[in-house]
Amino acid sequence: MYLWKCWRDTRSFFLVFLIGAAIVMPVAAVVCKGTGLVQEFGADAFQATFGLLLIAVALGLAAIGAIHEFGDKTAHFLFTKPRTRAYFVWVSWSVGLGELLAIAAVNFLAGWLTLLRFSKNPLHSPVIGPITPQLIEDLIMAIYTYSLAYSLTAVLRSGLKGLGAALGIVFGLPFLAIAVRWRWHINLPIPTSPIGHLSLVASDLTWIFIALLFVFGAQVVIERGEV
Amino acid sequence: MSELAIGVSGLTKMYGRLLAVKGLNLNVPRGSIYGFLGRNGAGKTSTIKMLLGLTRPASGSAHVLGMDVHTSRLPILRRTAFVSEKKNLPPSLTPAELVRFSRGFYPTWLDKAVEKYARLLEIPMGQRFERLSNGNQTKVFLLLALAQGAELLILDEPTTALDPVSVDQLLRVLAADGADRGTTVFFSSHQLEEVEQIAEHVGMIEGGRLLMESRLDDVKNDFRVITAAGSDLPREISSQVLSVEVKENFYRYVIAKDGESYARDLARNGATVTHVAALRLREIFLELVRKEKLCTSGNAGETPVLSSSSF
Repeated sequence: MYLWKCWRDTRSFFLVFLIGAAIVMPVAAVVCKGTGLVQEFGADAFQATFGLLLIAVALGLAAIGAIHEFGDKTAHFLFTKPRTRAYFVWVSWSVGLGELLAIAAVNFLAGWLTLLRFSKNPLHSPVIGPITPQLIEDLIMAIYTYSLAYSLTAVLRSGLKGLGAALGIVFGLPFLAIAVRWRWHINLPIPTSPIGHLSLVASDLTWIFIALLFVFGAQVVIERGEV
Repeated sequence: MSELAIGVSGLTKMYGRLLAVKGLNLNVPRGSIYGFLGRNGAGKTSTIKMLLGLTRPASGSAHVLGMDVHTSRLPILRRTAFVSEKKNLPPSLTPAELVRFSRGFYPTWLDKAVEKYARLLEIPMGQRFERLSNGNQTKVFLLLALAQGAELLILDEPTTALDPVSVDQLLRVLAADGADRGTTVFFSSHQLEEVEQIAEHVGMIEGGRLLMESRLDDVKNDFRVITAAGSDLPREISSQVLSVEVKENFYRYVIAKDGESYARDLARNGATVTHVAALRLREIFLELVRKEKLCTSGNAGETPVLSSSSF
């Protein structure tokens, strides 16, 4: 029942972005028909839209999902149901994550099928080479951003505050890392970039683990919080 | 099985430096309708929140349906229905969707009760919650609580925003539900007439302290107002005498216990007792609060916690 409610709260947002994810590349291909742009820059455009779309979806889902559940006004209703608060935190997060992955899958499939009409190797850019690793990075970045924004929204009990704080961290951290490197010559890890001497796969797994830690942190705060 | 639906001992709650509930003791018998009375800010909602595990006490213990609220939160919530003081529910859901959402949490859910109370309380089940009137929003809350098939109903100011007809309907429903299924109803209110209408037991709280807990019938039987004429009649406040007002040679006593015998004593001491009457719950409440205010301002010594041991 709670799964249904999470779906009910986010379905409009999800469906709008799902449709967007399905049509963005085909529409772009139709618009650019005959120009040769798709053959030349299609893979790059696809990779860029994939990343942007997923970040937008991640922030949106995080802000509307958690605020429906843990906002000051209705928390008493939810938290007097006979389930642990951890259950509510993780189920709500999982529904959003599922929707994020579904949008990513649809966008990937639509982009891949569109590019396949123009190239035998659709996931290869004439400019930057294979785009698959970057698509994976984009997906991990989206999961990281979603978990961060979700946790902040849940803890701050406000979609707007959570969104603002997450945006600040996601976009502020690279600048902070640059400043620290410039001033003290220390390399701070930036989300989804390799961490120290770890391999790319190990770094990606670490970033996913950090994303899960955010949600766990939110769970602990919510469990200890008073309504 | 514990005889008490709710047993609270020495419960204390602090918000920062503010002491909201001070060493509260409550005994709510199973199957009873218990009116928890107090002014705004008296500590009613804080107490209820502690009973439901929404907030943690600083000290003391509380048991609901025989289970410790600290260690058995989920089993308690499975068997307890709650109507919050804040009548807010997810705004975009319709009452029908809220029923669908809530049903899955409770094995004791009563679909027939949904139909019955939706019809009785005239709730538009297909309209979004945010578009319902305040009264209908409150009714949705009550519908969800009543349909839960709970052993214990905890209602925090349940009649807020209801019109008199709806209040009357609700009180009848609560009384009938209590009688039919043996549900314990614990409801907070400052609408004393409503409490008087259906409650069997009352507890009065002021400034986080319990002023009195008793059967309503005992309260009504015990408390008396006596008017007497005479000179040099007693003016002392005690656990029996809640207040004395003197105007020239006329005395007005509010007596907490054995009013009739006190009146006889006055007559024996030369007073002309002109009037002995029972007090309404509202008057009793006002007297107790007045007494408590005198005590806490240091003008009248320790306030007695009155309690009839009829449970």
